[in-house]
Amino acid sequence: MRVEYINPFVESAFNILKELVGDNITRGEIFLKASSQPVLGVTAIVGLTGDVEGRVLFDMSTKTAISIASIMNGEELKELDELAKATITELANMITAQAVTKLSELGFKFDLTPPTIITGNKMEITDFEVEALIVPMELEHGKLEINVALRERN
Amino acid sequence: MKTKMDFPNVNERKPEGLKDDGKSFRVLIVDDSMFVTKQINQILTSEGFEVVGTAEDGLSGVEKYKELFPNVDIVTMDITMPNMDGVTALEKIMEFDKEAKVIMISALGKQDLVKKSLLLGAKNYIVKPLDRKKVLERVVMTLKKQ
Repeated sequence: MRVEYINPFVESAFNILKELVGDNITRGEIFLKASSQPVLGVTAIVGLTGDVEGRVLFDMSTKTAISIASIMNGEELKELDELAKATITELANMITAQAVTKLSELGFKFDLTPPTIITGNKMEITDFEVEALIVPMELEHGKLEINVALRERN
Repeated sequence: MKTKMDFPNVNERKPEGLKDDGKSFRVLIVDDSMFVTKQINQILTSEGFEVVGTAEDGLSGVEKYKELFPNVDIVTMDITMPNMDGVTALEKIMEFDKEAKVIMISALGKQDLVKKSLLLGAKNYIVKPLDRKKVLERVVMTLKKQ
């Protein structure tokens, strides 16, 4: 997978989180995972199809998801309820939309699926035929991993 | 002897959500995201607007508009929604009431749909992420448009 696909997602996540959550955000080192990998507990998935196809995951622990959703709502949420899930979905929507705009400017055309939220413990995700690049973002409220597996359509 | 006089407070401003007669502007929010609906609701009600209805998809948004008409002053309409998208819902509302004031709520990267909406009669648009200033500015600007 080409590294330039992941950069727009990282830049967008940084901008949007800074604007909405206001944390000091540090970008960790990018790493590659080829096969199955554990996910952290709350995962928003957005699918892409077009010149580039694959999926993007925004992965975080339940505690981090609740903290981020609480800040975005301006009130303390006690659990990962419907509002918290809707908030994380919207966060994924905004980050992806901004990233896709940047990728479109580079000449790639594609459509997005609406985000899906998956929650649970001890989950793994497996991508076949495409490797995943992961960028961890360290926030004051926890870690959010941006996990991108995309390939150019032949 | 000094008497106490009541001067109007020049710093006191009328909330943006109130009409000249002191009544609230009435808003219908059409959005499938509970988070966005809550966000718009909070921003507008804090300025005196009254949210008279909400709908989670375009189809129920159109129905709600017809049900509330003429007691609704402005609609905020998400673009991407299930059942019926915001652009189609806008079209249906404009067919029903050509004076309707609809503001499109868009994610970045939907410029084509925003343009189409403006051609179909939407009065304005707001690109997410939403913030208080942006929402109030666009809503007030739209209400002033004839």
